[in-house]
Amino acid sequence: MKVSLFATCLVDTFQTNVGKATVELLERLGCEIEFPRSQVCCGQPAYNSGYVEKAKEPMRKMIDTFLDAEVIVTPSGSCATMFKEYPHVFKDDPAYAEKAQIVADKTYELTDFIVNVLKVEDVGATFNHKITYHPSCHMTRLLGVKDAPFTLLNNVKGLEFIPLPYSYNCCGFGGTFSVKMGNISEQMVDEKVDSAIETEAEYLVGADGGCLMNIGGRMHRRGEKIKTIHIAEILNQQA
Amino acid sequence: MIQNREKFLEKIATSLNRPFSPTQKPVRNWQHKPEEKKLSHLSIDELMSAFVEQCGRLNNTNVVEVSSGDVKKAVDEAVKQHGGESVALWNDERFRALGLDELYENEWADEGLRVHVWDSNLSRTENFERTNDSNIGIVFAEYALAESGTVVLYSAEGQGKAVGLLPNAFIAIVKKSTLRPRITQAVKEMEREFVEAGKTLPAAVDFVSGPSNSADIEMDLVVGVHGPIYATYIVVSDQ
Amino acid sequence: MAIKYNDNAFKDNVNTNLERDFMRGAVTSAQNRLHGGRLKAVDELGDWEEWRKHGEEIRQHVLDNLDYYLYELSENVEKAGGHVFFAQTPEEANAYIQSVVQKQQATRVLKSKSMVTEEISLNEALEEIGCTVLETDLGEYILQLDDHDKPSHIVAPSVHKNRFQIKEVFVKKLGYPEDGSADAKDLARFVRTILRDDYMQAEVGITGCNFAIADSGSISLVTNEGNAGLVTTIPKTQIAVMGMERIVPSLEEMEVLVNMLTRSAVGQKLTSYVNVITGPKRAEDVDGPEEFHLVILDNGRSDILAGEFKSVLQCIRCAACVNVCPVYRHIGGHSYNSIYSGPIGAVLTPLLAGYDDFKELPYASSLCGACTDACPVKIPLHELLLKHRQVIVEKEGRAPVSEGLMMKGFSVGASNSTLFNVGTKIAAAVMKPLSKDQMISKGVGPLKDWTDIRDFPIVEREKLRDWFDKREKKGGK
Repeated sequence: MKVSLFATCLVDTFQTNVGKATVELLERLGCEIEFPRSQVCCGQPAYNSGYVEKAKEPMRKMIDTFLDAEVIVTPSGSCATMFKEYPHVFKDDPAYAEKAQIVADKTYELTDFIVNVLKVEDVGATFNHKITYHPSCHMTRLLGVKDAPFTLLNNVKGLEFIPLPYSYNCCGFGGTFSVKMGNISEQMVDEKVDSAIETEAEYLVGADGGCLMNIGGRMHRRGEKIKTIHIAEILNQQA
Repeated sequence: MIQNREKFLEKIATSLNRPFSPTQKPVRNWQHKPEEKKLSHLSIDELMSAFVEQCGRLNNTNVVEVSSGDVKKAVDEAVKQHGGESVALWNDERFRALGLDELYENEWADEGLRVHVWDSNLSRTENFERTNDSNIGIVFAEYALAESGTVVLYSAEGQGKAVGLLPNAFIAIVKKSTLRPRITQAVKEMEREFVEAGKTLPAAVDFVSGPSNSADIEMDLVVGVHGPIYATYIVVSDQ
Repeated sequence: MAIKYNDNAFKDNVNTNLERDFMRGAVTSAQNRLHGGRLKAVDELGDWEEWRKHGEEIRQHVLDNLDYYLYELSENVEKAGGHVFFAQTPEEANAYIQSVVQKQQATRVLKSKSMVTEEISLNEALEEIGCTVLETDLGEYILQLDDHDKPSHIVAPSVHKNRFQIKEVFVKKLGYPEDGSADAKDLARFVRTILRDDYMQAEVGITGCNFAIADSGSISLVTNEGNAGLVTTIPKTQIAVMGMERIVPSLEEMEVLVNMLTRSAVGQKLTSYVNVITGPKRAEDVDGPEEFHLVILDNGRSDILAGEFKSVLQCIRCAACVNVCPVYRHIGGHSYNSIYSGPIGAVLTPLLAGYDDFKELPYASSLCGACTDACPVKIPLHELLLKHRQVIVEKEGRAPVSEGLMMKGFSVGASNSTLFNVGTKIAAAVMKPLSKDQMISKGVGPLKDWTDIRDFPIVEREKLRDWFDKREKKGGK
């Protein structure tokens, strides 16, 4: 299957390792990966701040970029959700309404793609560590991908999983919320870090770069031993 | 008297983008009716078990099932269990039909219990005071609802609402044949019996599930803040 | 008390409340307690999604036909012997209620909990004409005793207090023994003995209305305490106040929504009491009100009905959204500076009371969607918050200038792939000198707000697209 990688700005710029892991993992599962160079940002930062008209420019660019893809896969539940929102955003735009729907329909979050499209539940990974998992809000609630990450993690050899207390609470990222409402965000991420520490896991695993950057950044600031890691990096670890 | 109606409703109609027309009854065409499926397949005995089980989950709520011949004994026992002393009860032919008049007209007085039968010849204040001074109130329910452990009370001349509310404990007698799966069936019957027949509902229809509770202190559900602290339901198997 | 609590800036209210450790402990533990209870109660129905869809279709149908149902309701209330007063404004509603009370020459007013009467500052209006107004809902009663503290939750108004603080209030105001127990059960039982006399003396009972029932001319009142039952039984005059959207066609829809309300609010199948009141008492009845008045309030609702926030009127005031909100969890209800707090408050308050005082509320959300997920009648709460932001930015032009410039830059930079590529490269490069241990802990510019709280991790320096270029050149896979 030919996969067009929607890398997301964070992965493209700061979390290259997540992108590499995603590419290597999918190739190992038999996919051919293409990286459309004209991809930009999905528009979410502006969209979620209320700048809907300004967000439409990068959105149109993304629709044009990915229109002819066979499938679009992204290692971010939140960015996948933004693509799924495109038909709603462009519903009154005759030039883009249909195209937005086409792009949305073939967009998958990485773990959802592996489990529900490739029909693979065991990617043959080994990770000899104790982990806990933070289910990101957009991925679980808005995109509806709840089980796929657990299905895949369950089959990773050597991995010990400890449930995260109050896992359903947001980590406090929320895009611009994390800086605009910094005082509130701080309380939320602190509770998340505390919950993660309580599990005594070595890694907090997530499937969304934004949340991991928020939680990981706070862990590092507090000098905690526990680290964050993207699920793609675990699934790409082989013995 | 109805005041300021026309202007008020015309403003709403304007908001809804159409002229106001009170004659056009809207058609209700529900796509979903989940409430009709719940528990509706159970037999009367299964409903009884469900009712008893649910009452067990409510605070301080007892259920006794007796044949009509044993109601008198059961009521007497319940009164003694709740500490006797004084009883307020409805002036209700249904009590007499079950032979309870022997209790409240003779036996209890002989045993030294104070008895107040709701009396429309007395003032409301006198009825309130006597009822408020009573340890136990006895009422007769129109329906019992299995799912929620509820009894349904109607107000009427002899059926003072205060009897179920002011004493420390209340005893509700209910016929097993009026046990319904849930509130759905009871309100459907009320719609038929009253609304569709052009009759006004009783001034008060009270759905009562156990004693008075409050969750206002730390969301902890505790009994007895205003009304009764204890409840006993006596279900009469009349079939 | 009207909608707004004080004149402080949102940030200041938040910072004040973040310092309130007792409040935060009480709110967090209440949320934790309710979380499992609500899920269990809705799961038990087996097909919660179908219930939600049904709840939604009922509420939407009612809003689409609101004029008809209010007409039918008023006809039937009158037929049952009651009076109906339609009020556009809080002033009209209060003046009518004052006139009813004065006509009875009454001074002792008993209330069961009602948000809409808070909205119109009814207690103050009644005190102005010399009435004593007693709140009977335990939570409201505690607040009233505590020198009129403000509700911080639409269902559990005193949730910000723990039981030790409540005991302190009772010791100070009611002579509760200092060495008495702080057990919720004992505190509740104590109030029972105190309030009973007040019930017996009350002349006018005032209630809200959970759902009015159009075809029977009834109102329904949902409580656990039974206080609404007493308030509608003992006083000779009853006044019910309702927001105009709180109505259903018949008992059948009332039943569905009450079920969803009680399960969503407190995880109960039904609350201890659901009272359906139809007009005043019948001539031969002994108790119940001799006079029944229903006041139906607009106060801005018809404007909401006409606009893009219409779905917020579907709300049945269960507070499920409040109870799952991770922002409310930390800042508590008072931070919202409104009688309506949490996600529903952040959507509703700016609509009822304007953006001037409340334009920050729609931003007090990480858009995590927990509210939308929990709402029994499927109000897309986080989407409405987003819509507010859009209105604030695009229609009202109230966004900060610096943010507008940044977003303009974003729009240009992010939609042109060359600029995007160069821009993100520069971003990575600029951050390099600031970093130690592959982490930035002191950011400048837009990054400063981020690094005030957390470090900024840079795990790799090579951009993914550059890695890809190299790989393809090497003829990799």
